[in-house]
Amino acid sequence: MNLWITLETGLREIAAHKFRSFLSMLGIVLGVSSLIATMSLTNGIERGTKAFMQQVGGLELVTVIGKEISAEMIEFANLSPGRTVQDARAILASTSVVTEVSPEINIGALLSSGPISQRMQVVGAWPDYFAVNRHEIAAGRFLTQLDVDRAAHSVVIGDAILKRFWPNLPADDAVGRILTINQAPFKIVGVLKVYEREQDKRMREIVKARQPQMTSRAQNRWDPFRRKNESVVIPLSTMFFEYKSGQLPEDSLDSIRMDNLSFRVGDLDRFRETLSKVRNALNITHRGVDDFDLQTREEWFQGMEASISATRLSGGLIAAISLIVGGIGITNIMLASITERVREIGIRLAVGARGADIFLQILVESVSVAFIGGIIGIAAGFGLIKLLIAVAPSENVPFVSLDSIVISVVFAIIAGVLSGIYPALRASRLDPISALRYE
Amino acid sequence: MALVLLENVVKSYRIGDQEIRALDGINLRIEEGEFIAIIGPSGSGKSTLMHLLGCLDTPSAGRMQLFGRDLTSARADTLAQVRNKEIGFVFQSFNLLPKIDVVRNIELPLLYSGIPAGERRKRAIEVAESVGLGARLNNRPTQLSGGQCQRVAIARALVNRPRIIFGDEPTGNLDSATGEMVLQMFRDLHAEGRTVVLVTHDPDVAAVTKRVIEIRDGKIRREYNP
Repeated sequence: MNLWITLETGLREIAAHKFRSFLSMLGIVLGVSSLIATMSLTNGIERGTKAFMQQVGGLELVTVIGKEISAEMIEFANLSPGRTVQDARAILASTSVVTEVSPEINIGALLSSGPISQRMQVVGAWPDYFAVNRHEIAAGRFLTQLDVDRAAHSVVIGDAILKRFWPNLPADDAVGRILTINQAPFKIVGVLKVYEREQDKRMREIVKARQPQMTSRAQNRWDPFRRKNESVVIPLSTMFFEYKSGQLPEDSLDSIRMDNLSFRVGDLDRFRETLSKVRNALNITHRGVDDFDLQTREEWFQGMEASISATRLSGGLIAAISLIVGGIGITNIMLASITERVREIGIRLAVGARGADIFLQILVESVSVAFIGGIIGIAAGFGLIKLLIAVAPSENVPFVSLDSIVISVVFAIIAGVLSGIYPALRASRLDPISALRYE
Repeated sequence: MALVLLENVVKSYRIGDQEIRALDGINLRIEEGEFIAIIGPSGSGKSTLMHLLGCLDTPSAGRMQLFGRDLTSARADTLAQVRNKEIGFVFQSFNLLPKIDVVRNIELPLLYSGIPAGERRKRAIEVAESVGLGARLNNRPTQLSGGQCQRVAIARALVNRPRIIFGDEPTGNLDSATGEMVLQMFRDLHAEGRTVVLVTHDPDVAAVTKRVIEIRDGKIRREYNP
């Protein structure tokens, strides 16, 4: 008996008992829709997290941090100049894989413009600062080597600073204005892009659409991009000459300690190798004193990835349980349906159907039920995701991937096969004589 | 060569500790083109005999040879194949599938013999027309009278061109006029040269055949030609 006819017979049988078939599909529908929903949710979380990781600098960002000197080295502590611009130059010279290094000096300073004043963190940095920290410009330009060479009074500010001092000024018009930092005037040469989570962006758009005059929103929640948006960046040389020189007579721009030193590894495949080269270079500049360490984000990122896979696993487990329950539902209804169709099976056997034909017929029927259930489940999963997006906007927009659809269909079919085997086996083993006599 | 050859065939069942011999030493030979009735009261073993001849079952002992093949201890799949290709059944209660129409019911045996769809449909319609159901092709069995149902069953029995046709009380559920018409159809089939075996308890039905085998207590009691 060919498969096409078998399939047609199965579909007729399903269509003849629509409600019963729907009930038997329900478990599969629920299983598949929850599979689709969890996979889409974790897809969204994964994408959101990846984007977040990129915006905070990615895995490539490595920071040189200060470290407690070990006991046996304590005598030599004074030999080390600490983290200096020399370190930055040494890192660049040590390997071609590191292309951007950012030495930084931070101070808290009073910013003011007209009547508004506020204390903020100010960073003195090289132009590499923007590349290392993945900044993007919205208006004007980044700081340049020329700014550093001339110790220019140029400043690049973040969007939050712009909003604070000139609440309604477009970024383009802010370029060229003067911002005083501890009484020294600085010319704004660039404004950075707004960094925000998807969620905030959508909220902002919703709020804007409803009430055009209202642009601010509740600030009470933790915003991972707050510091990035509150950037105030001036040239490292300007920072030194304006705010740091003269404290100790022997200080120079080359010897002053940096508050922060980070760099970007250009090729992640050579990550380990690059780190050990950098370590060697810094051992020389620090004269063998182990007062520094290299901090990577591997563990942090691995932690995030582990929590995503844990979410995925638990969602998958729930979906798997629903699929098993759905499969048992199909088995149950198929057994009932066979009992009802003993005579039909008897007739088919009498006209020459073999056990294998009957087996295939029942199996195809249960697979069809599961497959249709799977398709309905995919549609329901889509709906669920749409509903979720509409009801609870989140930074991690869930999305349905082709993978999850294929996986769902495959699992639905597997559930159909497994749940059909036992009923099919029972049907195929019926004795034609007693089946024909069955009332 | 004989179409059917039974030698000392025994069919026994166990019920608890008791062994019941439904058939007890049957010897039977049926030639191509014969028109036979197997007659006997209920419990005589005539149905069991038909099940054996119809390849729905195998004997407990003895030798059974059908269509030149020894089927004494044939496997279920072999029997299914023989039923499909060589045997047509017409049952007392018609045994049609209620959910599918007349053509599909008639096609049923062809589904299991690997005949392509176009050919299947063509043969089913041909046979349906030959039994006078040309106008009823797309009706369901539930929309037909008893006589029409039995004609569908006969068409189904004929569609795969079997070498032997069994009628199991084929008139049992019909009124006498319709029953007479159905018997006439069996007579016509015989006249066309087909081998027909009717199983019945009714001597009037047996009387239309050429050779009557009377079964009693699992044994052939007598044979006669009406």
